[in-house]
Amino acid sequence: MKKLTYRNRYKIPVVLLTLALLFVMLFPFFVMLSTMFKGSTEIYVRPPYWIPKTFAFGNFVKVWSEYHLFGYFMNSLLVGLGTTALNSIIIIPAAYAIARFRFRGRSFALYSLLAMQMFSPVIIIISLFRIYVKLNLLDKLGGLILANTVITLSFTTWLMFGYFASIPKEIEDAARIDGCTRMGTLTRIMIPIAAPGLVTAMIYTFIQAWNDFLFPLSFINAQKKMPLTLGIYQFVGRWSTQWEMLNVAAFIALIPVLVLFFIIEKQLVAGLAGGAVKG
Amino acid sequence: MKHLPTHRLTADAKMAYALIAPAALFIAVFMLYPVFYVIMMSLFKTNKLGILQQWVWFDNFTRLMKDPVFWQVTGRSLLWTAIAVIVKTVVGMIIALCLNVEFAGRKFARMLFIIPWASSVPISAMLWKWVYDHEFGLLNHTLTLLGISNPPVWLGMPTWSFVACIWVDIWIGIPFMALVFLAGMQSVSRDLYESAEVDGVNAPQKFFFITIPCIKQIVFIATLLSSLWTFNDFNTIYILTRGGPAGATDILITSIYKNGFEWLRFSDAAVMAVVTFIILMVFALVYARTYFRGGDDAL
Repeated sequence: MKKLTYRNRYKIPVVLLTLALLFVMLFPFFVMLSTMFKGSTEIYVRPPYWIPKTFAFGNFVKVWSEYHLFGYFMNSLLVGLGTTALNSIIIIPAAYAIARFRFRGRSFALYSLLAMQMFSPVIIIISLFRIYVKLNLLDKLGGLILANTVITLSFTTWLMFGYFASIPKEIEDAARIDGCTRMGTLTRIMIPIAAPGLVTAMIYTFIQAWNDFLFPLSFINAQKKMPLTLGIYQFVGRWSTQWEMLNVAAFIALIPVLVLFFIIEKQLVAGLAGGAVKG
Repeated sequence: MKHLPTHRLTADAKMAYALIAPAALFIAVFMLYPVFYVIMMSLFKTNKLGILQQWVWFDNFTRLMKDPVFWQVTGRSLLWTAIAVIVKTVVGMIIALCLNVEFAGRKFARMLFIIPWASSVPISAMLWKWVYDHEFGLLNHTLTLLGISNPPVWLGMPTWSFVACIWVDIWIGIPFMALVFLAGMQSVSRDLYESAEVDGVNAPQKFFFITIPCIKQIVFIATLLSSLWTFNDFNTIYILTRGGPAGATDILITSIYKNGFEWLRFSDAAVMAVVTFIILMVFALVYARTYFRGGDDAL
C-alpha cells in the first residue's frame, strides 16, 4: 500500500477548495458567457437563468455595426499601437543610458523611475485637462496616446533598464573593438539581445492603453473618437442598459488583452516584485 | 562617480543626457508641470473653468479641513485600502497554498485564476454591475439557490454598495497576490520542508515557521504595491456607483474627479489631489527603499 504522505492526504480537499475558489473568481465571466447569447427578451426575465433558450448569435453582428463597436475597436487599436510606438522610441535610449553610462543624477533617475510607478493620473487629471484645452488636444486620439505614454513610461523604462543591465558588458566591448559605434552596438547588439524585454514592455504598454478609461472619460466627447472602454460604458444608459450588447462587447474587448496578458504574465510579476521573484 | 569633474561634462555623460532627454521632456511637460499646476490650483481661488484668479495661501486647505465630508472621504479611502488589502493578502495566500500542492490540472487552474487580473478593469466593473443587478442579475439568483433567501440590493443601499465595490476591487487584486506568493513559495528550498518532515513538523508549523519567514520580503513588496493600486482604484467605484448612493462609496480618488469634472470645484479637487499626492509619495519612498534593499545591485 502506498504511504499516505503529506501531499496525498491534502490533495482532495485542496482540489475541492480550488474548484470553489475558481467558481467565485470566474463568476462574472460565466455570467458574461451566459448573457451574451441571450436575446433581448431573455434578459429581463425573473428569475434569471443560465442557459439561453435560443442562442442569439446575431448579437455579435448587431453590436459590431449598429452599436458602433467597430469604430470603438479601431480607435482602441490606434491608441494602443500609437502609445506602444511612442513609448518604445522614448524608453529604449533612456533605459540604455541608465544601464550603461555613469553620469551625475543616475541614482536619482533610477529612484524617480521606481517612485513614478506609484503615480495616479487622477492627481493631474484636472490640470492636464487645462493643458489639453490650450494645446487643442481634446477629442483627439493623439491626446490619449500622449497621456498613456507618460503613464506607462516609468514602468517600461524600468523593465528595459533591467534587461539592458543584465547583458554582459564584454559583448558590447568586443563589438566596439571591432569598430562598431556606440549607437551601432545599441541597435545591432543590445536591442536584439533584449528583444524579449522589449516585447514585454510593448505588450504591457498596449494593454495599459487598451484598458485606459480615465483619459477618454475626461478628454473625449465625440462618439467617433471613443475607444472601447468608454464606448461600451455608453451602453450603460441612464434609464436602461442593453445588457446583452454590453456583454458581447465586453467579450470582444477582452479577447485581445487576455491573449496578450498571458504572453507577458511571468515577466510582469518578476518586474513588479523585483529581485525577490524570478519569472 | 564621486570624483566627476564639476566644470566639464565627459563625452559619456553628454551622450547619456541626450539619450534621456526625450523621456525627461515628456515627464516634465505631462507629469511635473501638471503636478505644479495642481499645487497652484490648490493655493489659488479658481473659477468654473479652472482658471487661477487670486492667490489665497492655504484658505482652500483650511476650508476643506473644516468640512466633515472631506474627513469622511479620506477616512473611507484608508478603510477601503486596509480592508481590501487584508482580504487580498489572505485569499491570495490561500490560493497560492492550493496551487503549491501538486495535483493534475494545477497549471490550468493557475491560468484561470489569472483571468480577473488580466481582464480590463473598466470592463470587469461593467460586467459586475450586471452581475449585481438585484432583479435580473445572476448573483442574487445564485445566492437564493444556495439558501440565502433575502439577498441585498447590492448597489442601492449605502453599506451594501461599499461592500459590493470593495469586493470587485478585491476580486481584481487577488490574482496578483496569489501569483507572487506562489512564485515565492516555489523558490523556497524543498530540503527545508523535507528535513522538517523528518523531525515530525506538522503542516501549519511548516507554513508559519518555514514558508512565511522565507517569503517575508515578497509578501511585503506585494502588499505595498497592492495598497497603492487599491488606494488609486478609480475605475471600479466610478463605474459601479459613481461614488453613490449619497456619497457612500466616495474615496479620495473618485472625489477629486467629481469635484473637478462634475461640480467644477477646481480648488477643492486640487487640495484633495495634493493630499493624495503626499500620501502616494510616502508609499513610493517606502517602496523604493525596500526594493533596493532587496539585494538589487543595480545602483
